[in-house]
Amino acid sequence: MNTYAEERPSLDRNWLQLQWRHVRLWRRFFAQAVVRETHYRAHFLTTLLVGLVQLGLGIVPTLLLFGFTSEVHGWSRAEVIALVGVFQIVTGLIATFVAPNLNRMTTYLTEGELDSVLLRPVSSQFYLTLRWINVAELTNVASGIVVLVIGLVQSDLRPGFGQVVQAVVLAGCGLVLLTAVWSAMSFLAFWLQSVNPIGVVFLSMVEAGRYPLVFFPVAVRTFLTFAFPVAFATTFPVRALAGDLGWGPVVLGLGLAVVAMTLVRLVWRRGLLTYSSASS
Amino acid sequence: MNTVVRNLRVVRRMTAAEIAQQSVYRGAWIIFMLANICMPVISLLIWRTALANGAKLPVDERYITTYFVLLGFVTMATSSWMAAFLANDIRLGKLSSWMVRPASLLVKFVANNLSEKFLKLFALVPMIGIVWWIFRDSMNIPADAGRWALFAVSIVLGAVLVFTIDILIAALAFWMDDVGALVQARVIIASVLSGAVVPLALMPAWSRGFVDHQPFRYTVSFPVEIVAGQLTGRELLAGLGIQLGYVVVLGALARLVWAAGIRAYSAVGA
Repeated sequence: MNTYAEERPSLDRNWLQLQWRHVRLWRRFFAQAVVRETHYRAHFLTTLLVGLVQLGLGIVPTLLLFGFTSEVHGWSRAEVIALVGVFQIVTGLIATFVAPNLNRMTTYLTEGELDSVLLRPVSSQFYLTLRWINVAELTNVASGIVVLVIGLVQSDLRPGFGQVVQAVVLAGCGLVLLTAVWSAMSFLAFWLQSVNPIGVVFLSMVEAGRYPLVFFPVAVRTFLTFAFPVAFATTFPVRALAGDLGWGPVVLGLGLAVVAMTLVRLVWRRGLLTYSSASS
Repeated sequence: MNTVVRNLRVVRRMTAAEIAQQSVYRGAWIIFMLANICMPVISLLIWRTALANGAKLPVDERYITTYFVLLGFVTMATSSWMAAFLANDIRLGKLSSWMVRPASLLVKFVANNLSEKFLKLFALVPMIGIVWWIFRDSMNIPADAGRWALFAVSIVLGAVLVFTIDILIAALAFWMDDVGALVQARVIIASVLSGAVVPLALMPAWSRGFVDHQPFRYTVSFPVEIVAGQLTGRELLAGLGIQLGYVVVLGALARLVWAAGIRAYSAVGA
């Protein structure tokens, strides 16, 4: 007879299978989230409406700004509108897949919910970062795509296939980098106990991504590229679509994304060592 | 008169108690205030770039800089976050236990508002100070102490105005099940119309008549304009008059609505 105390074969034969198992699990999370959402149709509708109003008001400063000038540092109004579209897409994806999880970090730690996660045959960091999905926020991604297309049409940009690939990869890197930054900030909960306000700071700082990088002073640009890498999420993808970006930044983005994920992994490991269950 | 004095005493006692309670979360206040100055600083940098790049704005660099440096302080000082909480207290019947007490439920929210602002001040003022110091060369600083006195008066009136608007929205909970969407709508609309996102001076000419006279201007923009702007003595007096008018009218309205609500209230959970 087998008991749980006995040595048992690992669930996965190799590293690849381990990753694949997590992908399959994530698909389940997503399917469950979609089913959940169909139960809360009013929530879906209010998220859609609030998202649209916020998108409209978020574009007001840009429209006002370009009422006083036709271009700022080489950016036309249409290009900045395209950039707002990309911003909306990336923040929409963060709000869908990442925010519902990192906003719970304090509860996980202070209420001891992390205990039951640690017992599961799954990467605990993966589970804490991606378990919950807010499907309704995908409407903001859709409206972002519409704004992006409007911006591209107005600015007469006709990106080729290579440029679209660059843009998508860069936006993906931006998404990963921002997630890494927010995760690292949230994992501070291991030492600080309560990190709910940190989410508020993160979301306020992300607002800088509504504007092209060159709109900021040089020192701030460096900060927004390497420390709080919102540039990869919005400015670089749009410049890639405009065709004035080589593959250099793409490689840089991928490199930074790998470094950031490794660092976050390290923070998580260190944090986990300090965790002394809250529930038992 | 006696009731006013008594209520003030209750507010003072409750504020002291709240301060003691809330100061446990002093780390959180520092982080919240950091978020509070993020947006004004981002806007400040953007508009300065636009100006340096030759944009023809109706206001100069000194106005823009002073405006956004002070903005974070004024939005905090006049803010109110109670609408959702007050609506919940009404909907879930918490109001019942306050109706048998010798003070209004609103007193609790006044105390909460004052105490949190008192604590936020310690976190926010140094931050504003740093931003001020960085941009000290392009700040408008009126030497006239009278302007600063009017600035202070206008902030107090603005805070009362925001609080009153929140009472009006939350009081709808006496008749409606969910005022969450209304609260959210108020926050979004106010952010633009109060001048918290873009200075109202930059709004297009066709909207001026409306923008200059709607109540939200007097919740944030007007106090900032007193220091940052070139308001003439006449405009200043007229503005303060309008602000006071809004406080009185909305205050009277809130009192009516609240009284009607209390009569319509049927205790839940009692």
